[in-house]
Amino acid sequence: MELADRAVGFLLSFISLSIFTYYTFWVIILPFVHGDHFVHKYFLPQEYAILIPVFAGVTLLSFLCIFIGYVMLKSKKKKA
Amino acid sequence: MKHIVKIMSFLVLMSAVWVGLLQASIVPQSYTWLLPLYSIVSLGCYGLLMVGVGLMQFPTCPQESLLLQKDIIEAKEFLKQRGVDVGSD
Repeated sequence: MELADRAVGFLLSFISLSIFTYYTFWVIILPFVHGDHFVHKYFLPQEYAILIPVFAGVTLLSFLCIFIGYVMLKSKKKKA
Repeated sequence: MKHIVKIMSFLVLMSAVWVGLLQASIVPQSYTWLLPLYSIVSLGCYGLLMVGVGLMQFPTCPQESLLLQKDIIEAKEFLKQRGVDVGSD
């Protein structure tokens, strides 16, 4: 029981740390590196560094709005 | 209303700092454009990290769990003798 909790907690923190280091590398360190360094192969073009978080944020917001609307509709139908 | 005033003033302060950084050009301008997005992403990462760390450190108290199970069995027997329906058996 608590081993499963520990495993999930460890997985979450590992994911968050890796996302943080990848994003920091991408946004802050990569512009200072020369254009033909081999490290550029491992990172997508810089426009995606902006597109992916914005897209994720928009998806999250729309999911929240859909969920709230669905719950409101369901409660109204039950009352009527 | 006072809490939203605090939140709004914090947001205005952050945008003022950002615009000031843009004008003063202490850091290169391309960095300053990406700074708000980077802070939002890092804040989300920090929240996820705190959730993960809290999950890993959650105490389970096995002795208290055993005592609780014993208390539950005692209470169920007591109530059954008195005639109360205790349900899932």
